[in-house]
Amino acid sequence: MIQHLLHINHVSKHFGGNVAVSDISFSVDEKQIFGLIGPNGAGKTTLFNCISGFYPVTSGDIIFDNKTINNLRPDEVCHMGMARTWQRVKPLGSLTVLENVMIGAFSITNATRDAEEIAIEQLRSVGLTDYAQKIAGSLSIGLKKKLELARVLATRPKMLLLDEICGGLNHTETETILDIIREVRNKGATIVFIEHDMKAVTAICDWIVVLNSGEKLAEGTPEEITGNPEVIAAYLGGGHNA
Amino acid sequence: MKQITIIAVIAGFAALLPLAIGENPYFIGVLISVLMMAALSSAWNILGGYAGQYSFGHAAYFGAGAYTTMILISRFNINPLVSMVAGIIVACIIALITGSIVFRLRGHYFGLASIAVAEIVRLSALNFDFTGGAQGILLSDVSLWGLDLNSKLPFYYGMLLVLVITLGITLNLRTSKTGYYLQAIREDQDAAASLGINLSFYKNKALLISAALTSVLGSLYAVYIRFIDTTAVLDLRLSIEIILTAIIGGVGTLWGPVLGAVLLVPLAEMLRSNVIGDVLVKQGIVSANSGLGVFLKENLAHAHVLVYGIITVLCILYMPKGILGLFRRKK
Repeated sequence: MIQHLLHINHVSKHFGGNVAVSDISFSVDEKQIFGLIGPNGAGKTTLFNCISGFYPVTSGDIIFDNKTINNLRPDEVCHMGMARTWQRVKPLGSLTVLENVMIGAFSITNATRDAEEIAIEQLRSVGLTDYAQKIAGSLSIGLKKKLELARVLATRPKMLLLDEICGGLNHTETETILDIIREVRNKGATIVFIEHDMKAVTAICDWIVVLNSGEKLAEGTPEEITGNPEVIAAYLGGGHNA
Repeated sequence: MKQITIIAVIAGFAALLPLAIGENPYFIGVLISVLMMAALSSAWNILGGYAGQYSFGHAAYFGAGAYTTMILISRFNINPLVSMVAGIIVACIIALITGSIVFRLRGHYFGLASIAVAEIVRLSALNFDFTGGAQGILLSDVSLWGLDLNSKLPFYYGMLLVLVITLGITLNLRTSKTGYYLQAIREDQDAAASLGINLSFYKNKALLISAALTSVLGSLYAVYIRFIDTTAVLDLRLSIEIILTAIIGGVGTLWGPVLGAVLLVPLAEMLRSNVIGDVLVKQGIVSANSGLGVFLKENLAHAHVLVYGIITVLCILYMPKGILGLFRRKK
């Protein structure tokens, strides 16, 4: 049996009577770029919030790096080597770009000087060096997304959960971000990638899971998914339960 | 110039000030109030300004220090310094209980809960016997190492020392992991948690530091005045004055609370001792018998809290980042 880095085992999340995620199972292998797609309200972000410790699951297990992480707090999940970004970016607005990334780096060091070195290095890797001393809240959306990426990378994660990291970006910006993600994977990290934009997903993912109305609709390689009539129906809105 | 040098220079200047103005007890008294409010507000600022957790109940920690010290000295004749340490412990216990309950709440709810905790402490002190109830506690005699505690000077230097320590801690926060983590919590709690920050640990850490410093000031104040009751050391008014001083000076800055205290405390003192009314009447600008004259002489003295309120409203409208905020572009 192959060792999975992340294993989602029959996970459900209910909000009162509202079923946001229903009995989802899948596994993510090491060094994979794993896509999680689906129309609005499919439960992608809810699932991310469960995995990263922000929501308790209603039932099921989340196993990361051979440990069950259902009941861990978000900061504990981060220290296990899983880091996430936010669909609606959350810059630490009144701090500088450098300080934002340093705060990520502080999860692996206590020394301010080390954190600063890590942050400078990380800013270079995403091309934000020129903005290091700018106030994070004043950046454009494209740069804020890069900042989110630099900040989580500074925690040196084994696994990255990226929630619509390309959302709201133009074509060139998307390409830059995808290049950074490929490079991060080549250095050994695993990436789970929520995306709306099918083009970006099929361009980069090794494996894709499609959610629809909280349930798993399909999974497979990008070629299989784009050829799947059910997926096409869900996206175009003409299908069974869209 | 480095901030630490500035702190040292200002502290040195403040240390020499009593020599320069002679031992005028009135002025020393006002200066002690300034130093105390600067230190209280700076201590509050660690939690409120850096971690963004607005506590409206800091009087509880001031009162904890004051009451513990007074009870131990007056009933058990325990050394004032030991009593002060006991006060820190009591304040920290209250802080830990408070923190474990109210830090689950965010935003306004945390502020409201902090008022509730402070009121519980106040009402307890008012109704228990060992705290002297409504009569408070009077201290007839106290001694420490042969220091003349009838003089105000030991308390002037005591308050100055606590202020310098508080500023030193604040300065250290600006460049340390803890300080960055507190600011991250202030900016966005979800983002902070997702970056590996244990929210309740760091909020409690900030609260404990803040509460411990506040309680030391309470102990100093109690031994200085030698009389405490709930109105003097546990009142909501005190909590509010601490916050307003920080807000008007500049929340989340090193010098904001100090600046706020330097401006507001003498202003309140002038209102209380009716300096403004006296001057206006003496200069013949306002007749003592006119309506305005009577208002100035009779009513304004009680109105310093009203003046604080007006200044705060103006401050929030026209300089929401406080006086220091006007001069800062970054951070």
